[in-house]
Amino acid sequence: MCRRLAASGVFRRFSGDSRGMTASTVAGLLSSEPTAKPRQELLLPRVSYLTLVTDKVKKHFLKVIKADDVEEMWFEYEGTPLKWHYPIGVLFDLHATNTVLPWSITVHFKTFPDGDLLHCQSNSVIEAHFMSSIKEADALKHKSQVVNDMQKKDHKQLWMGLQNDKFDQFWAMNRKLMEYPTEEGGFRYIPFRIYQTMSDRPFIQKLFRPVSPEGNVHTLGNLLKEMYPSAIPNDGEPKRFQVVIHGIEPLLETPLQWLSEHLSHPDNFLHICVIPVPTD
Amino acid sequence: MENAAGRRTTRKEEMSWCMLEETFHSCCQLLLQQSEQLKDGWSWESVQDSQEGFLRKTALRSLVINSSPVWDQVGSISDSRSHTSCHSWLNQPQQEKEQSLPVASNDADSITVDIVDDDDEDDGVCMVSEDSSQVLKYEYHILYSCSYSTPVLYFRAFTLEGRSLSLEEVWSSIHPNFRLRLQDSPLHTISQQEHPLLGQPFFMLHPCRTEEFMRPVMQAAQDQHRPVNYVLTWLSVVAPLVGLDVPLKYFIQLHPEVLIRNTEPN
Repeated sequence: MCRRLAASGVFRRFSGDSRGMTASTVAGLLSSEPTAKPRQELLLPRVSYLTLVTDKVKKHFLKVIKADDVEEMWFEYEGTPLKWHYPIGVLFDLHATNTVLPWSITVHFKTFPDGDLLHCQSNSVIEAHFMSSIKEADALKHKSQVVNDMQKKDHKQLWMGLQNDKFDQFWAMNRKLMEYPTEEGGFRYIPFRIYQTMSDRPFIQKLFRPVSPEGNVHTLGNLLKEMYPSAIPNDGEPKRFQVVIHGIEPLLETPLQWLSEHLSHPDNFLHICVIPVPTD
Repeated sequence: MENAAGRRTTRKEEMSWCMLEETFHSCCQLLLQQSEQLKDGWSWESVQDSQEGFLRKTALRSLVINSSPVWDQVGSISDSRSHTSCHSWLNQPQQEKEQSLPVASNDADSITVDIVDDDDEDDGVCMVSEDSSQVLKYEYHILYSCSYSTPVLYFRAFTLEGRSLSLEEVWSSIHPNFRLRLQDSPLHTISQQEHPLLGQPFFMLHPCRTEEFMRPVMQAAQDQHRPVNYVLTWLSVVAPLVGLDVPLKYFIQLHPEVLIRNTEPN
């Protein structure tokens, strides 16, 4: 399989989506509370983070809100505070994937819910989270050897590539994080998180190898069977859940190693959403 | 390569002292037994319908905290650095090799551990600010990180009225000696993170350097054929950083027959 060609799809040019919209962005409609004009419609990049791409939103709303009334900005959808430290695409797939577009998000400037959301008072906080994920992913993939061999400027390049939407700049460094010794057949463990909204547990993340000790290639289905068996129906049972990555449902037979190399987010994690099949 | 028990085997030069999840559980159970005897307040919280869980303890602390820089009359530490130091490890990846580990000595026969007497905390520091001391409720969780194969410390703090403390306030509540060490050393940094099992904001002590400071301790214990509770030993290192008391009695009330040998590299 041509890794470079497929890899280019991960960041931005991945196309083809059952919803009929480019999988690289999500159409969002942001309004301030109390719900009233002005509202702003934006294309939000799936791979980025809410607080990173909404500077203009903040400026826009600050024109009409008194400075006294402005504290830390946060976002909410249908009563649920949106976790800015999750990639935007994950938030959309988790909360709004089967709803009518545009995705209506409410922007708040008061009563920050500090029991639910992490604070995000500057871009350096987002950078720290992003780099922390990359470091953790590499701990799983390579026992941290690749990320530790990088220099400070290389780490910075990963972040700047994401922040400034510079695909080539990002991948010049990220390709090193996607390599593995050929004799191993894949990474040591696959960095993944499975999200769902049916319980309080925010995500499932455990150790899982891309290849079994006997040499069998593990698939997405194998992963779910091990980590979230109720996501996969038994023979004869109706399908109750959708397993969504970047807004699409990959075939359960897809090799996990391939998914990790090509459908990971820029933070090097495979973010997988398990959502109930719509009942209508 | 892994043998049938699932233990990691590595080449000698790559020996790393990591802890498997089942070892974490065993260590926690031992700690709990001792905690019960010592009435130290630790409990085990399990996640619904699963083997997973974490150790939990709450404690009251009487502290002077404020969200603006804390100065004592003895030595002032620039608090403007505290924001960057919380992420200092990001900026100093090359320096970590030169950093001396605070808990290892070169002498294999003795292991020095630097623990500041917690009682000094309220005596020695004279706050120039106008805030008076308040009683705060701290909650500590010990979880297992499968990514780093180590325990991780999560904590949060509230006033008695239920207001949660900010990172700046928590930072200011750390003893000045430790603040210095945290700022200079990328070994530990504190940042706000989502609790992986509860989904709520907590402060976390970064686990990425744990293996590095545990290695000489575990190696020495192995060389001396001395069983060690990895979680308890790790806790004795990190607890003082966050004002958590770990009574010395944990370490002198050991019953040899209940201790197990921890996972070791092979």
